[in-house]
Amino acid sequence: MDKILVTFFNNNFSNNKLNKMIMKKMTPAMMRSFAIAFALFTTTGPAMAQSNPSLTDPEVAHVAVVANQIDIGYADIAIKKSKDGEVVKFAETMKRDHTAVIEQAAALAKKLGVTPKDNAVSQKLLADADKTKKSLNGKSGKAFNKAYIDNEVAYHKAVIGAVEGLLIPETDNAELKQLLQNVVPALKAHLGHAEMVQKNYK
Amino acid sequence: MSRSYFFRSLLLIAVLAIGFISCTPTERDNSEEKGAGVPQQQEYTIEIKQMKFIPAEIIVHKGDKITFVNHDLVTHDITDDPGKTWTSSALPADESWSMTVTQSSNYYCTLHPTMKGKIAVE
Repeated sequence: MDKILVTFFNNNFSNNKLNKMIMKKMTPAMMRSFAIAFALFTTTGPAMAQSNPSLTDPEVAHVAVVANQIDIGYADIAIKKSKDGEVVKFAETMKRDHTAVIEQAAALAKKLGVTPKDNAVSQKLLADADKTKKSLNGKSGKAFNKAYIDNEVAYHKAVIGAVEGLLIPETDNAELKQLLQNVVPALKAHLGHAEMVQKNYK
Repeated sequence: MSRSYFFRSLLLIAVLAIGFISCTPTERDNSEEKGAGVPQQQEYTIEIKQMKFIPAEIIVHKGDKITFVNHDLVTHDITDDPGKTWTSSALPADESWSMTVTQSSNYYCTLHPTMKGKIAVE
């Protein structure tokens, strides 16, 4: 199954350097989640994809909120388990920043009168996050710190790719699109920060 | 009294007189009123947006005031790098913080360490 997914990603995401980096670091679980997300946008055919996106704006909003909630969940585990000051500080920043993004998304949804709608992509992301959380909870000490920060690097690469390559192009509402665009620099700063911390665990 | 001695004395008196006139209180008071020789405090703004300090480098004079305005979605801070001799503390979204420059500094956001800036005093 994973070989099929690798082939799928090579065929669809290998056109730029960032996505090649994503491929290198992405776990099989992440690969499956974002493969499903990508498939939902593309397998309905070009005409359908252009006139009827597979995810509506309320569904895009839900995916965005869930993606932020997942990283807050990882941060909560790190804050509880890690004794490394740099790891804890990074996790606190993730919790603070992703909470701020959710608050912005909630405020925008309220303003637009839109209720984020649950969907298959959100459910898949949550299911895979549960597996990752179980794996993290099963580790301790240096092994935990390495697993957490490696996951943060891979997760942010995957989310940046999904937001830039999937969610933003498929969003119709200008304000929701702008919010997603505003979040990308923060995600990239998080990635840079995670890579700085990761150097301590090479 | 020789003629040359007379002229040297006259020249010395003239020089002393010019120096005295140029240092009268009236002149000094006028200079202070006009601000001549005393640089006025300039005010600058550095915007924080898209996870960057804009401009990232700024050249100012000692005593100038810099105001940082956070336009991002997330909280930042502005902290001396590497000594941490000064910091804004947490600066939430849409808030600002001002400082009076005393010396050149590199600075960064401790919450997002990839964000860096530089203040150069000339």
